[in-house]
Amino acid sequence: MIRHHPDDALLMALAADRLARGPAVVTAAHAEGCAHCRARLRELDVVGGALLEAAEPAVLAPEALARTLARIDAPEAGGVPGDALRAESTSTHRTARSPRSAPKQAAAPSRAELRFLASLPAGMAWPYSLRGSTTTPWRWLGPGMRWSRVTLADDRGANVFLLRIAAGKSLPAHTHDGIELTQVLHGAFDDGRERFDAGDFDEADGSIHHQPVVEPGGECICLASVEGRVAFDGRVARVLGSLVGM
Amino acid sequence: MDIARRVIARAPAAAGAPRLTVVTPQRGRGAMPTSEELNELVRAVATNGDRQAFAVLFKHFAPRVVTYLVRGGTPAASAEELAQEAMVVLWRKAASFDPARAGVSTWVFTIARNLRIDRHRRDGRGDAGSDHADVDLDAQPDPAASPDEALDARQHERRIHAALHRLSAEQARVLHLSYFAEAPHAEIARELGLPLGTVKSRIRLAMINLRRLIDATDP
Repeated sequence: MIRHHPDDALLMALAADRLARGPAVVTAAHAEGCAHCRARLRELDVVGGALLEAAEPAVLAPEALARTLARIDAPEAGGVPGDALRAESTSTHRTARSPRSAPKQAAAPSRAELRFLASLPAGMAWPYSLRGSTTTPWRWLGPGMRWSRVTLADDRGANVFLLRIAAGKSLPAHTHDGIELTQVLHGAFDDGRERFDAGDFDEADGSIHHQPVVEPGGECICLASVEGRVAFDGRVARVLGSLVGM
Repeated sequence: MDIARRVIARAPAAAGAPRLTVVTPQRGRGAMPTSEELNELVRAVATNGDRQAFAVLFKHFAPRVVTYLVRGGTPAASAEELAQEAMVVLWRKAASFDPARAGVSTWVFTIARNLRIDRHRRDGRGDAGSDHADVDLDAQPDPAASPDEALDARQHERRIHAALHRLSAEQARVLHLSYFAEAPHAEIARELGLPLGTVKSRIRLAMINLRRLIDATDP
């Protein structure tokens, strides 16, 4: 059962497309598996529609309607239905809400991507919001700690990464002056405040100095996005900091 | 009388024969199409390829979509181009629009937003080759909704609209800027004279209040 959700302000920023790409894919990854947040996002779309209705109309070029009708009449303009199968042309949170559209992903994954996916625990859902992104192979970070840098197709500079921590191990302790978003993809950890299971989401700002500990039962895989400068404690954590580029 | 003529005839300054033009006469708020009329207009487009109905929808939504995009930082020329694209999507997907699942304004909002995301994505990759994006109705609730659920969805949408009208002016402004501003936090801080650090809690308060109003509104 999912107990930790993105707050309304974050969901609203996702619905309004006001999030940077890194936070957007992590928040969308949560919504994919969370019916509660998908329902909230639908409400927030209704709010967006109401605000659109209330917006002051802009003055359009006089021929705007005629040009639009011409595009409708042009046989290829606007996309033929089959073209909807094109990969990567979909929005993050739209697909996040609808895992059923996953088969649309037309581009075959590369050999490296397949190898990476094969390295994941059986039964772990791979977020649809990461489609089109590339991941590095798992890299050693410390005893029982591995990580993979995620490069987003549409924002190569976004600080997004996966952490894979063995049972009973701690995640690197750190503070940050920006927002850190974490979605638990597999396993569970306890950060000293609360327990986070697969499907749970965490938002931590700079005021939190946390050192999550993975539950003894099994390894934990998290998807994280960090904005702002991050200060890690200890040598291992500094390695991560330099590798991730923070 | 068909739906396009009915809506146009209601607009005081446009009481002549309907014309295919975007030079919209001044229309008071009372002349805004109702959500039921918008549904009918989309149905007319879907079933008859009704261009008059499409023109009414275009006049209503395209100028507002441009405002939404420009306020969010899209250059004016691209915004108009994207608004046209959004209306082309509306034309092409009209048959799959289900008024039981979401209102037309909600649908158009999601189309415009998704097109903007796709545009950013293409710009980010320098991939100017494809000039269209697929946008479907995924933003609407799942199609398996039963008739009861569909009714609930319509009622729920009405409740949300009613709740928005009852928000305080300041909280309504916070929501507006959250959706429309290019840099919402900075603009909210500036307009409301708040320290930047307190903006997020203001947004949360507005959301909490909206939720309270939605829950308190009778269907």
